[in-house]
Amino acid sequence: MTIEMTLPLLKDPQMQFGAITFFAKQHQGDTCGSNGLPLTPNSIIIVGRAQILKTIKNPYLCNYLDIIRGKHERTIVVSQYCGTPLINFIEKRPFSVDEIKRIAYQTLEGLKVLHQRKMIHRTLSNENILLQANGDVKLFNYGLFHMSDMGSLVSFPVLQVLYTAPEVYLNGLSSSYSDPKMDIWSLGICLAELALNKVLWSSLKLGQKIRKVTTLLQVDTSIFEKIAREHNCYEQYLELPEDLKDLIEECLNIYPNKRPACDKLIENPCFADFKVKPTKTISKICEPFQIFTIHELYHLWQLAGGDVFQELKKQGLIRSSPPVLSVPSLVLIEGTILGQERNPSTLYDPRIVQMPLDSLYQRFAHIPFPVFYPLIHCKSEIIAKFDPPPYDATGLPLIIKERDPEYQLHRVILLRRLLHGYPFTKDLIFEEANKDIPPFLRGEIWATLLNIKANYDIEYLRIDKFTHTTTDRQIEVDIPRCHQYNELLSSTEGHKKLKRILKAWVCQNSHYVYWQGLDSLTAPFLFLNFNDEAKAFACLSAFVPKFLHNFFLKDNSAVIEEYLCKFSQLIAFHDPHLANHLYEINFYPQLFAIPWFLTLFSHVFPLYKILHLWDKLLLCDSSFPIHIGLSVLTQLRDRLLTSGFNECILLFSDLPEVDIEKCVMLSMATFKITPKSITSRLHENEMFHKKTELDITGIGLEELKKERCSRISVNDVVRLVRSDFEGVVLVDIRNHTVFSRCSVVGSINIPFSSVSFSENVIENVGAQASTIKSKGDKVLVVIGDEETDLERFPEFLLQCNISKVCVLHGGFNTLLPITPTILTSTISI
Amino acid sequence: MANRSGAAQRPNGQTQGKICQFKLVLLGESAVGKSSLVLRFVKGQFHEYQESTIGAAFLTQTICLDDTTVKFEIWDTAGQERYHSLAPMYYRGAQAAIVVYDITNQDTFGRAKTWVKELQRQASPNIVIALAGNKQDLANKRMVEYEEAQTYADENGLLFMETSAKTAMNVNDIFLAIAKKLPKNEQNAGQTGNNAQGRRLTEGDTGPKTAGNCCK
Repeated sequence: MTIEMTLPLLKDPQMQFGAITFFAKQHQGDTCGSNGLPLTPNSIIIVGRAQILKTIKNPYLCNYLDIIRGKHERTIVVSQYCGTPLINFIEKRPFSVDEIKRIAYQTLEGLKVLHQRKMIHRTLSNENILLQANGDVKLFNYGLFHMSDMGSLVSFPVLQVLYTAPEVYLNGLSSSYSDPKMDIWSLGICLAELALNKVLWSSLKLGQKIRKVTTLLQVDTSIFEKIAREHNCYEQYLELPEDLKDLIEECLNIYPNKRPACDKLIENPCFADFKVKPTKTISKICEPFQIFTIHELYHLWQLAGGDVFQELKKQGLIRSSPPVLSVPSLVLIEGTILGQERNPSTLYDPRIVQMPLDSLYQRFAHIPFPVFYPLIHCKSEIIAKFDPPPYDATGLPLIIKERDPEYQLHRVILLRRLLHGYPFTKDLIFEEANKDIPPFLRGEIWATLLNIKANYDIEYLRIDKFTHTTTDRQIEVDIPRCHQYNELLSSTEGHKKLKRILKAWVCQNSHYVYWQGLDSLTAPFLFLNFNDEAKAFACLSAFVPKFLHNFFLKDNSAVIEEYLCKFSQLIAFHDPHLANHLYEINFYPQLFAIPWFLTLFSHVFPLYKILHLWDKLLLCDSSFPIHIGLSVLTQLRDRLLTSGFNECILLFSDLPEVDIEKCVMLSMATFKITPKSITSRLHENEMFHKKTELDITGIGLEELKKERCSRISVNDVVRLVRSDFEGVVLVDIRNHTVFSRCSVVGSINIPFSSVSFSENVIENVGAQASTIKSKGDKVLVVIGDEETDLERFPEFLLQCNISKVCVLHGGFNTLLPITPTILTSTISI
Repeated sequence: MANRSGAAQRPNGQTQGKICQFKLVLLGESAVGKSSLVLRFVKGQFHEYQESTIGAAFLTQTICLDDTTVKFEIWDTAGQERYHSLAPMYYRGAQAAIVVYDITNQDTFGRAKTWVKELQRQASPNIVIALAGNKQDLANKRMVEYEEAQTYADENGLLFMETSAKTAMNVNDIFLAIAKKLPKNEQNAGQTGNNAQGRRLTEGDTGPKTAGNCCK
């Protein structure tokens, strides 16, 4: 397969994007909201409001791709930008009647989508209707009015003077008047320009243009006819077919209520030829299938070094002025700044900068065509042979893989296909997620790993998110403190969404209550599914039973205490030295680890770290967080070992930088080698942890608290003996007589009564001391029975810094019924 | 004590004669500014979006008072009512407590009173309690009158100040006032020895095991 085939796929003429930039309105001085917190910068509010625009996908609307904040409230909007504005053709080439009708129809289809979402274009003009090579049109920059909250967040008027409906001027530009009918008027003007092939009032100045528009209110005959006469186009006007004239005339009705809405205009018989049958989407977890989307292209472009900010700078849209020029001339005591006014003409810049894609094309030029069509289920070797060799990124650090455009291209293409096959491809997704999760698709992949069902949105709709409850105050004070460094979560939209999700969760989980920390726990899901609140909620709802079963009970102390005990035991299991030190200085997990486990580290780490941590967590079970806890301690081990209580607790009050990739690898490593029963808990969710009589059951909290070494289940011991005998040392502490009568094959005997516990030296166990000392990483299972003390001996081993010590739950007798037996007798019969 | 000499030298550089160590706990409704007060006192910082505290946080700060160096071991607790069950673990054995409320919210003042009652009933009998009306910078939105809080504090023998973690108003002062009021002699109740480290704070713990250590 050749290069010539790949590039056209990327070089789709519609796969191009550009950016515009403007400043959001700056708050005056040091102003605070009613809650004492600083007012949210308007640019952040805009970023939050603009997110929803990214979800608008319609062939007649340019896709919104990104909203970026710069310094001093600068806002940059990146969106699909392809084709040529209609204005460039007017007076240069005539438009056929059919062409005009097609443009009218497609523009209406685009407007319809906006109006259905209660959005108004407001700036529709022939400058932002882009004509494509195939004759279709796409509307551009239709979201400005929405993202600026009807213009209130910016200090320039959001409109196109000539195309603005007269009632907008009558209401005043700063009024919150918003009626979708104003877009219909603008469409009328656009069509009039096309039909007459004339740029209207092109020689007039700004003020005169506004006057022209408002004087149209006094016209009592046909407005279109009047416009035509004014431009000496009356003959052209007469030649136009009646249906087109009527259409334009309807749009240019001076009474907004008499002007037809989109839906009605679309029904006009003159559009019959252009109607396309709507296609229905099936999969809800992700969007309808495309070989390659512009969102992906933009993502890869960024990875390949594309930088919108730099491009705008290069084109002169962003200019930095010396800081000395921005010093105000006067600052009043209460904070008002004077003499620093920005030149209003710099506030809105209509220029659009097309982003260059050449370097991306070059970067991907060598990629063979079949990469875009990976074989997923392939039984035939012959076919598989033609598959290009997989892109080798194994062994590279995650952070590098995530920034490698080529690797991400492969991953995104493969995983998007798998997501389309969900739920049938669940296992394949799991397998791939095990390698790594491409950040671009993280939200969708997480949802599948959590087994989200397709009707999640309907379920969310049904939940009451608005009735006042006693929890509201707590939620309200927590939200403005939750991961506020993040633009999305600190935006007004973000606050609203988080509040609704939390209220819905509290409402839906009547057996649980809202605990502080639940906000942090929700934050990653909201961040990843900012435009799909229902999915964020569904993820949270699936996440809690799987990983935090019963943690949010009104009285959760038993659950948490048990969890923390298990944490202590796991430290003892893997790192006796550290465990002994922490024990000696009375540094208990209760003092520092509650926020770790209650929020699964979402309260202690910044978002980007949580994402990587949870990428793995979602593949594991509810014992994984204990391993994460251990790996955090391991990273700080040297400091902890040399510190006393105060230094240790201070270390955790202000958690130092934790290398998250190391942390993930360490936790995965201990998670994999630790027998499951070491971390098994009474309060585990039975749905995810099925238990038999060969597992550990019925250990009360009081009993558990006394045990410094963990128990191990018969199941795990039998498995170890049978499959991994080299990895286990079995120490039978029953007396010699019973031991010789019957014991586990290969076990060693250290009778409990023979050991002196006076000092913590391993030599006290006698002849077998060397076996234990040289056991290395093997699991040491202590086997006893009712006659022996099952706490003192293992604790002694722990105090001697012997690692991986655990106690067989139920004692020797539980091994008797096992078939085929693992027991033997040294007495010959 | 060698490791403490560094702390004992601040802030005026003179090595002080006596070092006293006290356990202090902050209590109060959530979002009244407990963590902000501690952060201001310990690090001189203020974060507008101070994260909520889950469980508790621990910090220390040393101040000099005449010839004595006072080291505060500060437990900053979670404010949400649900974390109440953890609170005794932190206030047990504390020699001082700051009960914080938000002057712009009457409910938080009510909650502060409940905390005072609980401390009077269950904490060490000699505990020094200070009442802090925080967010004084928002005085134009005040819902709790200064006089009301002052009267309440007088009736209950509490230290009282209105504070602002944001502007740093009265933050050091309230800690200083507490330090002055704390007994700094060797007859200090609950003294357990020279080693201040290694304290047990578990639920079942009784008595003032963690109480103050005062040493020369």
